[in-house]
Amino acid sequence: MRPLAQVLLACLAALTAGCEHAPGYPGSPIVRPHEVADFDTLYDENCAACHGAKGENGPAIDLANPEYQALVDDATLRKWISGGMPGAEMPAFAQSAGGMLTDAQVSALITGMRTRWSRPSGFSGPTPPPYAQTQTGDAPAGEETYQARCSACHAPSQQQITSPDYLALVSDQALRSMIIAGRPDIGQPDWSHFGPGGKAATPLTAQEIDNIVAYLASLRNPTQATNYAPQQPDATTPAER
Amino acid sequence: MQRMKQTTLNVYAWFERRLQLEGPVKDAALHQVPRQTASWWYVFGSAAFTLLFLQIFTGILLAMVYVPSAGEAWRSLNVLNHQIPLGWFLRGLHGWGSNFMVAIVLIHMAQVFLFGAYKFPRELTWIVGVFLLLMTLGMAFTGQVLRFDQDAYWGLGIGASIMSRVPWIGGGLVHLLLGGPIIAGATLSRFFALHVFVIPGTLLLFVFVHVWMVLKLGVNDWPMPGRVVRRETYMEEYHHLAHTDGIPFVPGAFWKDLIFSGAILAAVAVCAVVFGPFGPSGQPDPSIIQTVPKPDFFFLWIYTILSYLPPQMETPFLLIVPLLAIAILLALPLIAAEGEKSWYRRPVAVLLVSTLAVSWGVLTRLGTTTPWSPHMSAWSGDPLPVNRIHDATPLARQGAVVFQVKQCRNCHSVGGSGGERGPALDTVATRLTIDQLRFKVVTGGGNMPAYGKNLSPSEIEALVRFLETLHPANEPPAYDASRRAVEATQAAESAGEASRLAPHPGSTP
Ligand code: HEC
Ligand code: HEC
Ligand code: HEC
Repeated sequence: MRPLAQVLLACLAALTAGCEHAPGYPGSPIVRPHEVADFDTLYDENCAACHGAKGENGPAIDLANPEYQALVDDATLRKWISGGMPGAEMPAFAQSAGGMLTDAQVSALITGMRTRWSRPSGFSGPTPPPYAQTQTGDAPAGEETYQARCSACHAPSQQQITSPDYLALVSDQALRSMIIAGRPDIGQPDWSHFGPGGKAATPLTAQEIDNIVAYLASLRNPTQATNYAPQQPDATTPAER
Repeated sequence: MQRMKQTTLNVYAWFERRLQLEGPVKDAALHQVPRQTASWWYVFGSAAFTLLFLQIFTGILLAMVYVPSAGEAWRSLNVLNHQIPLGWFLRGLHGWGSNFMVAIVLIHMAQVFLFGAYKFPRELTWIVGVFLLLMTLGMAFTGQVLRFDQDAYWGLGIGASIMSRVPWIGGGLVHLLLGGPIIAGATLSRFFALHVFVIPGTLLLFVFVHVWMVLKLGVNDWPMPGRVVRRETYMEEYHHLAHTDGIPFVPGAFWKDLIFSGAILAAVAVCAVVFGPFGPSGQPDPSIIQTVPKPDFFFLWIYTILSYLPPQMETPFLLIVPLLAIAILLALPLIAAEGEKSWYRRPVAVLLVSTLAVSWGVLTRLGTTTPWSPHMSAWSGDPLPVNRIHDATPLARQGAVVFQVKQCRNCHSVGGSGGERGPALDTVATRLTIDQLRFKVVTGGGNMPAYGKNLSPSEIEALVRFLETLHPANEPPAYDASRRAVEATQAAESAGEASRLAPHPGSTP
């Protein structure tokens, strides 16, 4: 009797003490969706599908790129996340814009991205051109720069960024962000590495970037971008021929 | 020592003189049962009895903390889970105890049926048993409602909408069930009363009657082919058997009951420790739409049947089949009170039980694997396989964004995640050519929505280019031979044209 009682007591003690380590110990209570403030949960549920798990290797821009984080300010991030990005397929997430996230949750996303994905040095090399466009671009000049700086990698048959259909779906700012900060996850160099094979080269100037974006914008077919447009079988742009 | 023993005996004698329980208890314990009846097959009834007491015990402890109010119930369960030492374990015991009890009662019933134990003179024992089953299920359902989380809320909503289909009085029944037109505080109070007073009270009474009859009528004799039950002769035969080839119930058969009940209790405890308590899932609030409510395990099969039934069959099925089943169960011992008990001579009975068991298993399995609702957060939550993104062209990558943003993933899985309303698209390019893909996306068909009006031409183009990449590395995408021929001529033509015009730098093929 005595040993049995001792064993039982020991078991009970172990159960009480180690109770939080038992496999069946319940996880923390499920909070209301709009009370979730944990960055990982918010990011995984709302952003990972397009921006990739851990902020990279998704179809849309890699938010985990520290250079991108250095380039963009909080207000801009909030603007895109809350209201969506016009001209690109980035949806609006704020409740005020018909989304599911509260302002506090958008803030949690921004702080979370900053603490996780930006590095203190920001851009290590030369000072980058500003995030937003400053002057109006010159398309013909942009075409020349494009030929000189981009076409080596973006040969017509390989990376069709000049495809009007592609351009119809990305906004000027999205292009700009990708040209300046690059997309290290898929191999697009940043603005100062447009040398052969992605090596460092003379950085593009702000004006050159404006021009390239203006050039790419000129290839965009506006009727293709709008929804509900009847399909035009012979809508051939120069780039399609 | 000697003195103490004497005092104890004296106290015992004092009570016994007044209560006079010794005789009946001894009678019950030592009554003779047929030797073969002391079998491992006869342990389920006593196990159900033990589980009932586990449920009562844990239930009382839970009731000390649980607050049966709509605003507080959910929180008090989380208090139990996290703030009261071993509270989670207690909830686990009660929850798993309930599941085990339903299972054991069903097994007990199948065993009694197969052993012909419902035949004369044990008809009433069976009938009372049918009510015990219904009450056990009622306890399981009301208990799940007391959890008052999202699953409970929607489970109840479904229960109410089933009720509302009853002709004429449906509305009234719903009102009665919910304590009002909607699921609210009154609903919870009502279910609390049912779960804690009404059903358990009745259940205990019925259990008493059930066990009383088992003791009075004796445990069923082991069925032998050819030993036919006849009203006139059965009692005599049974007593003869029990006395010529019998053993006292205690300890002859009782030790097996004890061991089995102990094992079941241990299994409940292990499940509670390893799998933990059930829920509570999210808060019960109909304004929270990010939820995938799932019925409790034991009710899953009903959902499966309903989802396979054509809609016009649902109401008759829901209202008639349960009543019919109960009626058949109740009538069974009255119709088949005599005759063979052995399963060797009752092929229909064996077939019936096995068919029911297999269909229940299949339906439950389907219920756990079938996606009941589309996977609503797939589009914003589930990343696409990384290699699909890396190997894609910019246009196809943009198509992947369109694929996500248009929520195709709510119905289609890629890389193992996503909804299952439509086929998985991982290898869709090997099945459909690019023109067929475009046609499918634009026109839809067969439960696939038509997206022609909701997508711009560029979005369609991008989307189709993305779908075209969905094929295994070692298997090329499907292509249309005639289209190749057309493309070849087009290429030749445009080459001719291109030689006339200056080649454009940004051109794509
Ligand atoms: C349905 C796909 C999708 C989802 C979901 C999505 N995004 Fe986007 N996002 C895009 C696209 C497309 C762009 C445009 C850039 C591009 O094409 O690479 C974009 C752009 C952005 C930008 C601006 C990039 C720039 O150029 O400055 C930010 C910031 C951003 N997303 C953050 C988020 C956050 C945070 C979430 C989660 C709350 C999120 N996105 C969810 C598709 C999505
Ligand atoms: C060293 C080679 C290289 C150079 C130079 C280069 N790129 Fe890229 N770029 C890439 C690679 C690799 C990718 C990703 C692969 C892909 O798109 O399939 C990419 C992707 C892109 C994308 C994103 C496509 C998408 O999926 O959204 C854009 C936009 C882009 N490049 C623009 C430019 C522009 C504009 C220039 C010239 C200023 C340029 N690139 C110069 C290699 C290069
Ligand atoms: C409401 C659920 C639903 C949504 C949303 C949905 N689909 Fe479907 N899809 C289906 C069903 C169901 C089928 C099977 C249709 C059939 O039997 O022909 C299907 C079939 C397909 C097929 C043919 C697959 C094959 O193997 O034959 C393709 C391709 C497809 N869908 C693409 C898409 C794309 C792209 C989107 C987003 C724009 C989308 N679907 C959105 C339900 C859906």
